[in-house]
Amino acid sequence: MNLRWYHFLLWAAFAATLMLMPELVSKGTLRTMIFACYLAIFAVSWDLLSGRTGYISFGHPFLIGIGAYTTAILSKRFDVPLELSIPIAVVVTMIGGLIVLLPALRIKGSYFALVTLAYMELIYQLTQVVRPDLTGGTRGISGIETLTRGAVNGYYLAATLLIILTIFSWALMRTRIGTALWAIGMNEESVRGSGLSTTKLKCFAFLASAFVAGLGGAFYVHYLGSIAPRALFDINFLFTILVAVLIGGAGTIIGPVMGAFFLVFLLEWLRPWLPGAERYFIYGLIALVIYMYEPKGIIRIFSNLLGKLRGANK
Amino acid sequence: MTAALEVRHLVKKFGGLTATDNLSFSVSTGESLGLIGPNGAGKTTVFSLIMGELIQNAGTIHLDGVEISKLSTAQRIKKGVSRTYQVPRPFAELTVRENIRVGLMPNSVRQMVFGNSDKARETELALSVGLSEADIERNVGELSMGDLRKLEFARTLATGAKIMLLDEVFAGLTSGEISMIAELIQDLRDQGFTFVMVSHDLPAMEPLVDRTIAIERGALIAQGSFASVLADETVRAAYLGT
Repeated sequence: MNLRWYHFLLWAAFAATLMLMPELVSKGTLRTMIFACYLAIFAVSWDLLSGRTGYISFGHPFLIGIGAYTTAILSKRFDVPLELSIPIAVVVTMIGGLIVLLPALRIKGSYFALVTLAYMELIYQLTQVVRPDLTGGTRGISGIETLTRGAVNGYYLAATLLIILTIFSWALMRTRIGTALWAIGMNEESVRGSGLSTTKLKCFAFLASAFVAGLGGAFYVHYLGSIAPRALFDINFLFTILVAVLIGGAGTIIGPVMGAFFLVFLLEWLRPWLPGAERYFIYGLIALVIYMYEPKGIIRIFSNLLGKLRGANK
Repeated sequence: MTAALEVRHLVKKFGGLTATDNLSFSVSTGESLGLIGPNGAGKTTVFSLIMGELIQNAGTIHLDGVEISKLSTAQRIKKGVSRTYQVPRPFAELTVRENIRVGLMPNSVRQMVFGNSDKARETELALSVGLSEADIERNVGELSMGDLRKLEFARTLATGAKIMLLDEVFAGLTSGEISMIAELIQDLRDQGFTFVMVSHDLPAMEPLVDRTIAIERGALIAQGSFASVLADETVRAAYLGT
């Protein structure tokens, strides 16, 4: 894994900064940060799969939704305690991950992306018509048990989950499997030509991604206390995740976290001046400029700056 | 003696086109076999069939006497056969070291996650094919075509290959680079590796092969020493299209 002392230092600084936030910012800002934390978790989950292997998934809300709906239904309709319903939700999401994997065994590129988009649309329709007594139909489910009360506790939970999942994903991608998954994104045939089973590798990537998505989705629904199909299986929700990854830096795990916080705070910062939907135009424009200037994202801009500073000090 | 690699009555059809036509040949351990034929003769198809990248309509492939025809590409590679491509296929955004690392990886997710990479072996492989210490940490996008060919050899060796299928190994190289690669192949021959080699650069290939076979439209048309195959009337006619 090749860990250095400064890795520990940087992760400790990252965790300490997040944990100190309740002392430094208002409760309103803290609520924004809670959403940023969950968006970052979803972005990391997408990055584990698509950022690495190049299999662009448009169906990620499908996985997040499975995690969220499973724990919501179990806890609300069957009184299953959250300590049990959340792990079950994660396992069910991982099974969902294997369903998304199936087309990836035969197709790739834009065809795969479109098939996964169909998954999202499929579950959106299914949650409304199949057993609405369980799913709540178009209105969804409200009054779901929450894990915490108040913005501060909600923030600590979201931030802790983000820290654990980000470090877990980052460490995983620094092992040889991270290199192999990245190699799949560059040339899948050559990975096979190196004697590796790409089916096995892709299966691992889909499961790991589904694990993070399921856990994030389950915790998110127990933060919100409600769930509705229109909010979850929405193309805008999907694009928010994709934009966070792309402007942060796909395939890097840390980049999508930076992208998620940048995106959420950019929108909040624009709100006083542009309270309506027009701020999305500005946000789209800024995202486009960043992406055109540096396709590898904000993280590359930072690493280039760091490289220049090091060069200047030599 | 059991052949290191044996192909028996191999047939591959693409619709109405027969790309490999009842082809049989074998290579002994440590032998270097030249495979020649005009453009479109089906040489690369033979390599793809041996590696399991294409599946034959009929015939079998054997490695050290054991049939491998039903194995996946990954399983065949682990049995000791590997190939290079006409156009090198490196992992463009990885370093030379990481490219070699992929070849060294075990086909087990658990070992990939919990095991450590063997940096000493990665360095040894890079140096053994003539790459320099400085090249090892470079991104492959910075390498010349000659160095990319060397990297292909390093990745092939990393898989533990005993039999190497070299497809147009001199394509796109300068005369200096051809000499370097020829020297590398000769070194590997001296170490006991087995080769099947395809090349249109016949003068470069001649000193590197023990025996040669020629194919045309997927069928064997001549075999023997390099000189005798080249002198064969059928081979000449195939190359000249007469």
